[in-house]
Amino acid sequence: MPKRNDLEQKALHFVMNTGSAGVLQSDLWRELGASSREGSRIAIKLEEKGLIRREKELQDGRWTYRLFPKRVPASIDSIVDCPCLLCQDNARCDPTTPISPTNCPKLTDWILSLGKENPAPLGDSTLAQGLGPR
Amino acid sequence: MLSTIDDAMLIKVATALGDEDAVKLIEHLKSVEEITDDEIANKTGIRLNIVRKILYKLYDHSLVSLRRTRDPKTGWFIFHWKLQPDQLEGFILSQKRRVLEKLTIRLEYEKNHDFYYCNTNGCKRIPFEEAVELVFHCPTCGKPLAHYANEKLVQKLSEKVEQLRKELGE
Repeated sequence: MPKRNDLEQKALHFVMNTGSAGVLQSDLWRELGASSREGSRIAIKLEEKGLIRREKELQDGRWTYRLFPKRVPASIDSIVDCPCLLCQDNARCDPTTPISPTNCPKLTDWILSLGKENPAPLGDSTLAQGLGPR
Repeated sequence: MLSTIDDAMLIKVATALGDEDAVKLIEHLKSVEEITDDEIANKTGIRLNIVRKILYKLYDHSLVSLRRTRDPKTGWFIFHWKLQPDQLEGFILSQKRRVLEKLTIRLEYEKNHDFYYCNTNGCKRIPFEEAVELVFHCPTCGKPLAHYANEKLVQKLSEKVEQLRKELGE
């Protein structure tokens, strides 16, 4: 039998991935291959730890709970291509020094490439293309 | 402790930290409790100096921990490395805060300045105060400077700052 903590971890990931739609407790324990008793205990444990929220719901004439994640899993997606992430010049980067976020060409290129499917190449090249003079 | 981070995110962080070697190394580290750098190099085929470089980088961000023992024969230190996946969430949050700080500085700068630009690749934008001193001529190529509309940049930057603030719950 899997350890309780492993199951809790799996259950937490499962609930986290359902997002705002949530998941029925009955679907959770079926997915985990656990019994309904185990599933219910795990859900209670996660709720006690403040990681999920349980809401009572009537499903096919039976009362069950719908589980919602309380926290959004931390994701690095929003900054994964940002040049500031792990930049070699980080220690020297300051608005008062020559290396500064105010004039960093890599940062400029990244900002201009935001929202585009293919990120722009590094260098100041995008300045001329992205935004023309008035 | 229960972590909200899954393996896919661990791999994404590894990719951001290094290259495919870092991913290979992390995947191997994940599957064992504790391992020496020598063993990692032997099992993954990555060169020992590269293994150490990646491990030190991960150690700088507390993503791995190390235990040091002394080899009874040679007297040299042996380093035993262990992945600390519970530190990953903190790492992501601290990186996000740092990026947000940089972007906020940039946003304020963009909002508070008017820029002039010669529209030549490789040349830099010049803030109004400096452009006046240069009599509106590019210091690099000598072409005349024209006003540079940075609204699009400000808009994209504002959206990113807003997104990061939301993600950090600020």
